Amino acid sequence: MSITDWPFYINFAIFSVFLTLFISELMGGILLLLFYDASKKKVLPYIVPIWEVTGTFAAFWVVTADFAYPALIPAVAALFPAAIIVFLIFLVVRNSSISFAEYIITRRWVNEKRLYQAYGVATLLIALVVLLVLSSIVGGAGVNLSPIAFNFGAWLTDPATLPYLVGVVIIAVGLAPVFYDLEAFRRLTLPLTVVGVLVEIGALAMISRTFLAWPLVLASLLTVAAAALYQSRRTAPIVTNKVVLGVLSVVIVFSLNYLVYPTAFVHADHGPLTVNSVTTTGPMVGAFDALSVAGGIIVGGLMLLYMVAAYRKDSSAGGGAASSPATSAPVKGP
Amino acid sequence: MGIPIPEFDRFLFAFTIACHILLVSVSIGLGIMLAACEFLRARYGGPTYAALARKLVRPFVVSFGVGTASGIVMAVELVNLFPTFMKLVSETGVIAVFYVEIFAFFLETIFLVVYVYYGHTFRGKYSRWYLTLPIVAGTLLSAVLITMVNAWMNTPNGFDFAVYRATGSVTGVNPWAPFLTTSTGYEVMHVVSAVPLTGLMLIGGYFALRYLRGTDPAERELFLKGLRIAVSVGLVLVVLAVLSGVLEIESLYKYQPLKYAAIELNPNPGTNLPVTLFGSLSGLTVVGGLQLPGLQSVFTQHAMLPGLSQYPQSEWPPLIIHDTFDVMVLGAVLVGLFLFGFAALWLTGRKPFDHRLGAYGFGLVAVLMAVVMELGWATDEIGRQPWIVYNVLTVNNAANTSSALLVPGLAIVVFYLVLVPTTLWFMVRVFNGRSLELDSSAKEGGTDVNY
Repeated sequence: MSITDWPFYINFAIFSVFLTLFISELMGGILLLLFYDASKKKVLPYIVPIWEVTGTFAAFWVVTADFAYPALIPAVAALFPAAIIVFLIFLVVRNSSISFAEYIITRRWVNEKRLYQAYGVATLLIALVVLLVLSSIVGGAGVNLSPIAFNFGAWLTDPATLPYLVGVVIIAVGLAPVFYDLEAFRRLTLPLTVVGVLVEIGALAMISRTFLAWPLVLASLLTVAAAALYQSRRTAPIVTNKVVLGVLSVVIVFSLNYLVYPTAFVHADHGPLTVNSVTTTGPMVGAFDALSVAGGIIVGGLMLLYMVAAYRKDSSAGGGAASSPATSAPVKGP
Repeated sequence: MGIPIPEFDRFLFAFTIACHILLVSVSIGLGIMLAACEFLRARYGGPTYAALARKLVRPFVVSFGVGTASGIVMAVELVNLFPTFMKLVSETGVIAVFYVEIFAFFLETIFLVVYVYYGHTFRGKYSRWYLTLPIVAGTLLSAVLITMVNAWMNTPNGFDFAVYRATGSVTGVNPWAPFLTTSTGYEVMHVVSAVPLTGLMLIGGYFALRYLRGTDPAERELFLKGLRIAVSVGLVLVVLAVLSGVLEIESLYKYQPLKYAAIELNPNPGTNLPVTLFGSLSGLTVVGGLQLPGLQSVFTQHAMLPGLSQYPQSEWPPLIIHDTFDVMVLGAVLVGLFLFGFAALWLTGRKPFDHRLGAYGFGLVAVLMAVVMELGWATDEIGRQPWIVYNVLTVNNAANTSSALLVPGLAIVVFYLVLVPTTLWFMVRVFNGRSLELDSSAKEGGTDVNY
C-alpha cells in the first residue's frame, strides 16, 4: 500500500464505522416498526444514546470524502442531486423525530411510540437512498460518466439492483434479533441471514464475476457465523455483546473495500472510474494524513470515554454490563 | 421561460442557513446557560439551579438533534448546489478547516451524550459542570471553524489565484493557510460574540415573559435565576460584539473596500465622509436618508475612504446591504442599551422584570437580536456577491445547473417552514414538560429520557 492509497483506506475505514453504526440503527428501526412493544426494551437503550454518534460519524465520512476525492464532487452533485436532497430531508426527520421522542409527553395522537416509529421509517428510507448511491458506485447501474448523468429507470431495471437491495434488507432483518438479543426470534435469524448472504452474493456476481473473491467469502462466513453462534445459549453471549458484533461488522465492511477500489462504477457508461484519478494529491495528501492521525487519536479517546461512561452506568445500576449500548444483556430504561 | 437554477441554488442555501443559524444560536445559548447552571448548582447548592439544568437539557437535546442534522444538510447542500466551489474547497486547505470542525463536533457530541445519558453516574460535586465545559467548547469551536471558512471566502489565500482564474487548476497549495486569513480574527470575534448573544437573548426573553406571568414563587425564582445568567453573560457578549463589529469595519476597509463602500453607500471615494443612515443611490448621488457628517473617518481612523465609482458596476454587490447594515447596527445598539439599562436598574435594587414594560421589552429585544444576527449574516454574504470566493470564483460559475434540484429543493423549503417553528414550539413544550416540583425533587440518578 503506497501513500497515495492512504486517503482511500482512511476514508473507507471511517465509512465502515459509520455503516456499522447506521446498520445497527437500521436493525433497531425495523424492529421498532414491526414489533415495537416486544423490542423497545432492548432497542431503545441502545439507540437513544447512539444516534447522535452515528450522525457525527456520517458527517465525518462526508467531510473525509470531500477531502479525499475533490475531483469527484462535481460528478456526485451531477449524478445524485435529487437523491441527496431526499436523503437530507429524511436525515432531519430522523433526528427530529428521535429527539422529540426522547422527551415527548403524550398529547392526543402524538406519543413516544409514534415518534420512535417515525424515526424507524426515516432510518429505513435513508438506508434505501444510501443503498441506491452505493449500488450505483459499485456497479455503475444507470450511471453515465461522460457526460455525467444518472438514469433512475436504468438503475431500477438493472438485474442486479433488486437482489442487491433485498439482500441487504434480509441480512439486516436476520441479524437484528442477534444484535438486540431478541430470543423469541432466535430460530429465524440463521435461515434469514443465510438467504440474505446468498442473495447478496448473487447480486454481486451479477455485477462482476471478479467480485467473487476471498474477502467476500470471508465476509459472508463471518456474517453467517454471527447468526450461527446465536443459535446456542452457550455461544450466544459472544455475538450479543455489541462491541464484539460491532467490531466484527467493521471488519466485514472494511474487507469489502475491493468492490470500489481501485476501480468503481464498474458497468457505468464510459466507466469504470479509477479511484486514484480523483484522489487528492500534492501537499493535501500530507495534510489529510496528519489530520487523520491527530483526529483519529481524539475520536478514539472520545469513543473510549463514551464506552467507559456507558459501562459505569451499568455497573452503578448493578446490572453488570446490562444496559450499555456496548453490550447486550437484558436491559431496563431508567 | 427557463428557471434560473443558480438563483434557485443561491436562494435555497440562503434559506437553509438562515434557519440553521437561528437553531444554532439557541443551541449555543442553551449550552452556555446549562454550564452556568451546573456551576452554580455545584457552588451554591439548592434545588433551583438543579431543576433549571434538568429543564434546559431537554430543549438542548432537541436543538442539538435538529441543529446537527441541519448542519449536515448545509454541508451536503454545498456539494449539491455549488459543486465547483466545493471542488475548490477540497483542493485547497479549506477542507482541512472543515475536517478539524468534525473533531469539535465529536467533542460536543460525545460529552453531550455522556452528560445527558450517563451524567448521573459521576458523583463529584463539580463533575456534571466539568462535563458541560467540553460541550460548550465544542459548540463554540464549531462556530469558530465554520467562520474561518467564511473568512476564507471573503479573503481567500493558500493557492495561486491567477492560475486558477486562468485555467481552473489549483496550484501552489498551502493546506494550512486558510486557518488564518487576513479577516479570520475579526470575523471569528464577531460571530463568537453575536451568535451566543442571540441565543441567550431569546432564552432570556422567554424567561422574562414567564417570570412576569408566573404566580408560583418557586417558578418565578427559577426564571429570575435564569434571567440573571442571560443578562450577565449577555452584557459581556454585547460589549465584545460591538468592539469586534467596529474592528470588522476596519477589516472591510482594508481587505474588501468595495463591500465597505457599498455598506456605507459611498458613491465616490473621499475624505471626511458622512455616515449615511438609509437613503439610496441615484446615479452616483445619495438620495434621502440621514447624513451624519464626518463620522466614517471617526470610526475607521483613515483619511481616504473608498467609493463605489472606483469599481465596475458589474462587480457591485446589491446595495440593499446598506440598509441591512444600518438596521443591524441600530438594532444592536438598541439591544446593548436595553441590556445595560436593565443591569443598571437591577444593580440599584430595582426589579425591572416586575414591570410589564421590562418583561415584554426583553421579549421584543430578543426578537430584535435574532433579526440583527440574520441581517448581519445577510450583509456579509450579499456584500460578497457576485463572488462566492472573493475575486476568484463567482456564484454563477460555482452553481449546479441541474433542474433535478428544483422539486426536492422546494420540498426542503416547505419542510423547513414546518420544521423550525415545530422545533421551537417543541423545545418550549419539553422545557415545561415536567412540573417544577418534579424537576426539583428528581434524584441525581437517572435521566428523564423516554426509554
